[in-house]
Amino acid sequence: MPEPNGGGLPGRLVVEDWEALTFRVNRIAYRSPEIFRAERDRIWARSWLYLGHETEVAGPNDFKTRTLGGRPLIFCRDSGGTVRAFLNACPHRGTILCREREGSSKLFQCFYHAWTFRNNGDVAAIPGKEAYEAAGEGFLDSMRLRAVPRLEIHEGFVFVAFDPDVPPLLEYLGDAADYMTMISEQHADGMEVLPGTQLYGVRGNWKLGVENAMDGYHFSPTHNTFVGYLRETGFAVTDDDQYAYNLGNGHGLLVLTGHGGRISMLWEPRFGEDEKVRTAEHRAEMDRRLGPERARYVADESHILFVWPNLLLFDLEGLSIRQLEPVAADQTDVRAWQLAPRGEDAETRALRMKTMVSFVGPGGLATPDDIEAYEAVQRGIEATAAEARPEFDFSDMSRGMVDEVKGVQGRSIDEGAMRGFWRHWVDALGVEDGLSVAGPRPERFLEGRNVR
Amino acid sequence: MTAPATTGLIGGREITRADVEDFLYAEADILDAWKYDDWLALFEPGARFEVPATDWTGTSMLASGSFVTDDYDLLRARVKRLKSRKAHAENPPSRTHRMISNVRLHEPAPEDGGEPGLLRVTAAFIVHRARDGEFDAYVGRYDHLLVTGGDALRFRRRRAVLGHEHLPAGSRLSFIL
Repeated sequence: MPEPNGGGLPGRLVVEDWEALTFRVNRIAYRSPEIFRAERDRIWARSWLYLGHETEVAGPNDFKTRTLGGRPLIFCRDSGGTVRAFLNACPHRGTILCREREGSSKLFQCFYHAWTFRNNGDVAAIPGKEAYEAAGEGFLDSMRLRAVPRLEIHEGFVFVAFDPDVPPLLEYLGDAADYMTMISEQHADGMEVLPGTQLYGVRGNWKLGVENAMDGYHFSPTHNTFVGYLRETGFAVTDDDQYAYNLGNGHGLLVLTGHGGRISMLWEPRFGEDEKVRTAEHRAEMDRRLGPERARYVADESHILFVWPNLLLFDLEGLSIRQLEPVAADQTDVRAWQLAPRGEDAETRALRMKTMVSFVGPGGLATPDDIEAYEAVQRGIEATAAEARPEFDFSDMSRGMVDEVKGVQGRSIDEGAMRGFWRHWVDALGVEDGLSVAGPRPERFLEGRNVR
Repeated sequence: MTAPATTGLIGGREITRADVEDFLYAEADILDAWKYDDWLALFEPGARFEVPATDWTGTSMLASGSFVTDDYDLLRARVKRLKSRKAHAENPPSRTHRMISNVRLHEPAPEDGGEPGLLRVTAAFIVHRARDGEFDAYVGRYDHLLVTGGDALRFRRRRAVLGHEHLPAGSRLSFIL
């Protein structure tokens, strides 16, 4: 449990003023190593975390290694077909057990003393194990691979928790779960992760990456050149009638209907005439399979879904999964995978890759400007650190609060989804006086979205 | 090791490794000087520019994730963007310094098509990039397909394969690798 005083962390991390209608975030939240360590203990060690997609370990014995919340893990499917996650450290002396990035193996053998484990965690062999006989029957059993305490899968998205006492995954996902179901409903044969992972580091705090994804306000100025490119292809970007939702438990959602088409579901000119025909056919199939109303939500809306604390699903022209792995207060590793329909024809697949990589990848025409933004914030907030006028060391996220007071749904170009994120963050961190409230705070905030 | 036969010609004479080195060095100077229109002119219409992901195992970039998979339309859009002062990630532009070595000429692989005059070139690169007070190195291998036959070499496919296991912090690929 957090210490009652929050372990000596500063108060006033999030400051709400309902008279002035301002919402401010203390910039220390982005740069303090103490807060980074507290986040590791109180968020990453206690929450469900997105590990990977089950199609990344499609067959028995497939494995990947991946660091999550700072902990090296083995993500695998055992010989019997069960998806598992183990700490990637030999129970004997702590050596990294599997030093490959990916592969297929029934056994994991530690090179140091040749202790060998099956991919279900059982001990397969310990050289000279008679020397341990005096330790009794329980010794081998005590040396099984250390499984991550909790693992659950929703629609192929594999989540783990280092805390055995987290609630069931579906309860935790709440309203976010259905947006993941919608992804799985896009194509009758389901979706799979493709090879080719974008692995890149950003010199910025992980929370800047979340803010950026939940922020429709930045789109036009930051992505000016991308908007210009779309215009030249015959698509006019609009922010009208688009909203941002707090889904509860820190999860957030942007619903975008004016930012671009959706391959095989909603055509736009840059996709070409052949794709127009394919889209009409697939869209009709979706109506039959899902019913027209559900098909409309699944097909016609783009979504950016944030699942607290480390998963972003960019369900846009195509689908990109982005995972955030904080490395230090001012540094974040990002991993991004393309999720595509199983058995997709080569032409649509090529269009999908071109379209998604050119937009939401670090080598694309838009995401580099987002990264520029978080890195520029990370550098810029040094200006007000140790400032004699401490009120200057706050970032403003007040946009749309006037609607929040009235209980009116916030627009995608407001900052309501970010406020929901920060309220959940300050609560999860458990710092006494972390949240400072002045004036008459609404009794409740709008949460969730009814699409059923 | 025998040098592969070069089937191509420029200006009517057979291409040497020195010709290819000159082409690559000239390109490096063009990029280091941010002369993006001149850079685009090094591509034949219909050419591609590719940067595979760091876990690339040889799958087609038409069918899997990557850092860059530009067809000629996107390549032109990329150049147009880089010339704009609204390309925030490159405004001000990164200062780059390119070194190219280990240049070798090859017959095109079967999957690259057996067209006469096509030349596969591999080379090692280091691009140093200074921006925002940081100095980062990008190391890898070029694997280009060049078209011969006219007065000058042209890219049909320009591919930069990173040697890194992942792109370290600060490594958004807003500049040309």
